[in-house]
Amino acid sequence: MCNKFKANPVSEGISIGETFHFCPYVPNVVEKQISEDDIQNALLQYENAQNKAKEELKLLQSHLKDDDSNKARIFDAHLDILFDAAMDEDIRDEIDDLNNPAFAVNKVYEKYIRIIGKSKDELIAERVADIRDVKNRLLRCLEGVEERNLAELQKPVVIVAYDLLPSDTATLDKNKVLAIITEVGGPTSHSAIIARSYEIPALLGLENAMNIITDQTEVIVDAVDGEIILCPTAEEKEEYSKKREKFLIKQKETKQYISQEAKSTDGTKIDVEINLGSASSNELQGGCQYTDGVGLFRTEFIYMGRPDLPTEDEQFEIYKKVLLVFKNSPVTIRTLDIGGDKKLDSMELPVEENPFLGNRALRLCLSNPQIFKTQLRACLRASVFGNLWLMFPMVGSLDDVRAAKKALQEAKDELDNENIPYNKDMKFGVMIEIPSIALLADMVAKEVDFVSIGTNDLTQYTMAADRMNPAVNKYYQSNNPAIYRLINYVTKEFKKQGKDVCVCGEMGGNKLSAPVLVGMGIRRLSMGLASVASVKKVINNLSIPQMEELASQVCQMETDKEIVDYLSEKLSDLI
Amino acid sequence: MYSRKTVIQNPTGLHARPASEFISCANKFESKISLIKFPEEEKVNAKSIVMLLSLAMGPGTEVEITAKGSDEVDAVDTLVALIESRFGE
Repeated sequence: MCNKFKANPVSEGISIGETFHFCPYVPNVVEKQISEDDIQNALLQYENAQNKAKEELKLLQSHLKDDDSNKARIFDAHLDILFDAAMDEDIRDEIDDLNNPAFAVNKVYEKYIRIIGKSKDELIAERVADIRDVKNRLLRCLEGVEERNLAELQKPVVIVAYDLLPSDTATLDKNKVLAIITEVGGPTSHSAIIARSYEIPALLGLENAMNIITDQTEVIVDAVDGEIILCPTAEEKEEYSKKREKFLIKQKETKQYISQEAKSTDGTKIDVEINLGSASSNELQGGCQYTDGVGLFRTEFIYMGRPDLPTEDEQFEIYKKVLLVFKNSPVTIRTLDIGGDKKLDSMELPVEENPFLGNRALRLCLSNPQIFKTQLRACLRASVFGNLWLMFPMVGSLDDVRAAKKALQEAKDELDNENIPYNKDMKFGVMIEIPSIALLADMVAKEVDFVSIGTNDLTQYTMAADRMNPAVNKYYQSNNPAIYRLINYVTKEFKKQGKDVCVCGEMGGNKLSAPVLVGMGIRRLSMGLASVASVKKVINNLSIPQMEELASQVCQMETDKEIVDYLSEKLSDLI
Repeated sequence: MYSRKTVIQNPTGLHARPASEFISCANKFESKISLIKFPEEEKVNAKSIVMLLSLAMGPGTEVEITAKGSDEVDAVDTLVALIESRFGE
């Protein structure tokens, strides 16, 4: 049966080719009691398997080292795990307790997988893949089965697998892999990281992929829009070949921009910053390398998925870590933004008729002063470790601005009394998300050091269209001239008073709207790492007068469609 | 028994390469060595990479290293010095 499927693209690209089902070794562990006399022999079997596994890893490593020392390091980690002191001791104890070696290995590795899997740190939790990989290698060596891998594919194929372990992906012959489809794995999984570094298009997380995507079948893998077409028609193949050509040309051009500084053709520097949704080393590293700072640090992740509230010290450590990584570059921390669509396990929030118009974000913090105070104190304490800018979401009036300021002052007074240092010049700002506060920009500018425009909520509140409700999707128009006029007004008023304006919503990282924002006078744009190269590319190919022209045109247009069409045409060579 | 406290200072924390360097150093000593992470006071075998990783120790984490055995002082001093060298980062 031919069909189309959706999956999560984690490594961009488009391929057309034949599928290849990859079924790696599956351990078959049987529990057997051994006799006292067999203990020595069993320990020897375990040690031999350990040494065989070590030889295999060294061999894999020697194949790799020339072309990629980063991947060779994965196997260093595997060697560490293979000879891990705690696991090794536990396995020997299990064998001493008369368990057969395979059962002992499996039991102990599973125990440690559970321990690591519980880690709140996503990157560490994903080390589970490494431990499982080593476990399978060790069990296979115990069984005396030879390694099966992707190193010797006969022709270029689209690999379909339940999951790819680091050792599977690291040995694969990248010239013979057109694309990867798996049933499990997220954007930070090993398969995803390796696929991206090899530039192999990859779609992960397609449930039941091994059953629905048949073996040796022609398939189109579109890892740009996240689509799989099984048994494509001649027309579809033609269409996607063209799409692929275009993608490759564009990708090559765009890539060159990521490490460049964002600067208009007439020399105006634009700060391109990163939106952080966690403090994982991946995000921090990319942000630090390719951007000018953090324009939006969402703090919700610290509060989510746990039964209790984070302590002041816990928060302090996380903020400090991020500040230290970014050194003198600004790190803009947004205070807790929950309610609306975001819930916490640790806080019972009442069900509201209109949650987006309800007690959310700053409002919720003001009605829970203790939770708010904990976060403000943690931010203040961290402020001595870098360049912290603090901002408050969901501000609708000057009363809100002043209430936030008052809460911050109270936290400062407490720290003063306790002789705890903080940066007295820490920048204070608010988000422009509610039209009322946008219209009061001239007055807000007198009260704050900076503003950041959250275009997602600004659009939702201005257009009165719930962005989570698909039925009103067409009414949620982020390129509606009303939005541009509001942003333009805010920017002009803040510039008059020499204060900073940043855009940290979707529009800041959008290739079409980013140059318009620069044209209005905005010099700070914050976005996800994935958008950095494409935004820099647009900015670095336009002059300030050209972008000003775009801005002045869109403010005079009548509809969202008119603006999108105009920008798409004007920027067609750059997007 | 001998122990000392220190604070992890390198930007990566005790993950990846630094963690690997740490355990290979710890494994050179005879003594039984453990690491305690503060403020939770979670204690693990300092020779085990898997247990070290499970503590998710980023920069700023306070730790105590304790050793018991023939080379306990040398072991603790060497490991503390390694942490304080920031693993060359």
